[in-house]
Amino acid sequence: MSNLNKIASSFRDPSGFMFRRDGVLYRQINKHYQNQYDKLVSSGLLDDLWKQGLLVKSAEVDIQPAEKELAYKVIQPDELPFISYPFEWSFSQYKDAALATLQIQKKAFEKGFILKDASAYNIQFVNERALLIDTLSFDLYIQGEPWVAYRQFCQHFLAPLALMALTDIRLSQLMRVYIDGIPLDLASKLLPGSTKLNLGLNLHIHTHAAAQLKYADDTSAKKQNKGQMNRNAFMGLVDSLESTIKGLMPKGVKTEWGHYYDDTNYSDSSLKEKRDLVGKLIAQASPKTLWDLGANTGYFTRVASEQGIFSIAFDIDPLAVEQGWQEVKAKKESQLLPLVLDLTNPSPSLGWANQERSSFLQRGPADCVMALALIHHLAISNNVPLKTLAEFFAQAGKWLIIEFVPKEDSQVQRLLATREDIFPDYTLEGFENAFSDVYRVRAKEPIAGSKRWIFLLERK
Amino acid sequence: MFPIQSLAGIILAYLDPGSGSYLIQLLIAALLGGGFAIKTFWKQISAFFRKVTSKAEPQPQEETKDEQSQ
Repeated sequence: MSNLNKIASSFRDPSGFMFRRDGVLYRQINKHYQNQYDKLVSSGLLDDLWKQGLLVKSAEVDIQPAEKELAYKVIQPDELPFISYPFEWSFSQYKDAALATLQIQKKAFEKGFILKDASAYNIQFVNERALLIDTLSFDLYIQGEPWVAYRQFCQHFLAPLALMALTDIRLSQLMRVYIDGIPLDLASKLLPGSTKLNLGLNLHIHTHAAAQLKYADDTSAKKQNKGQMNRNAFMGLVDSLESTIKGLMPKGVKTEWGHYYDDTNYSDSSLKEKRDLVGKLIAQASPKTLWDLGANTGYFTRVASEQGIFSIAFDIDPLAVEQGWQEVKAKKESQLLPLVLDLTNPSPSLGWANQERSSFLQRGPADCVMALALIHHLAISNNVPLKTLAEFFAQAGKWLIIEFVPKEDSQVQRLLATREDIFPDYTLEGFENAFSDVYRVRAKEPIAGSKRWIFLLERK
Repeated sequence: MFPIQSLAGIILAYLDPGSGSYLIQLLIAALLGGGFAIKTFWKQISAFFRKVTSKAEPQPQEETKDEQSQ
């Protein structure tokens, strides 16, 4: 069989790879990993991590492997409804991912294993918790050997978290540039000088970065110092990373839309009416998955997720997403995932051959897209023609619940206050014309207490 | 724990730990290992005293029940 069905991100680790057959996702375990895999099972580590919700569940299946000559076994992991990336996470999501990785490392160590990689891309959010999705990330611990994934952990987790907390919360976007984590010399330059007084940050970032530069060409280091790190030192290292990360909290910066629901054109009763209306339209579309674009903290997304529809609340504002995630955890909302996304520049495809990480649209489509109080930001602030907007939404999902916010609305007036009105077609009629090329109108309702309209559209 | 020493050489590390990261990790871990040992020891001691003191104090279970029923 050819490699055509191999998952594009699954090529670095020779222990195995992911592939898709007849729409089902599998992981081939190579003979190379037989010893480790058998011990993972017999030690009870897999079971323990499954019970604690720290590792994606999988079952051995008796099917033809994708590459028979290499294969030991094939497992079928539970498939997740959406794969998110670190630069789409809020601070707390990122922190949860980092702490889950360290917790897994500690559990593994108790059973004689280590994590041989610590990539943030191996962590996903399921049932309001962070979990590892790579069953083959474990290797046997050899007494005296240091943690092979230490550098990767610092680059993928500690550096982004420290930068988000202590320099600027938007610096998580550096993960979009550096596929293998933020270079530590860059993190060291960008962090405030005062972080040198923090023992953990000093050691794991500043001193670590300096050592990387100093010993970059020292090829004999590993041979000369083999087997010099005892168990206690290993546990101390992991413990220090954990306490350093636990101590990180971002500055409480309020952003423009952070308190959206205190600053809308809706009274409490019209907010409830709008919620009921959205609920009615969602029921009519009856989707299995929903993407709410410009969701803020996910107030309307919850109309869908509370009905058991897996829903993603995308918003540009990392603090709104942060608040959304806090609510998800507090209420144990298993069907809602808040994520950071700039719709004017959505997550691109990244990595090797531009195929390792999928773009925003490649990870779709969703059954239903929701765009409430969003269109004016895209059409007016970002000058996107209405027809182009319709085509974009149509790529993202079959159904579209969209709110038209007319020029008379104070929110649009606010956007037009500082610029020329070059949008003669931005009218209700212009909107309906532009969207009629790709959509059929299934419902059109006025929103009480405003001059806004809400539409349920179905892609032609 | 498995007889791991015999497995050296077939470990499947596919990441390059990096020379600088490798060396500094040894130094950092040596420094932190001592602190970690003290921390673990201290936790054991405080856990022991918590156990002793909690045994000595009666549990206010009845009061809690009363409060809940009001």
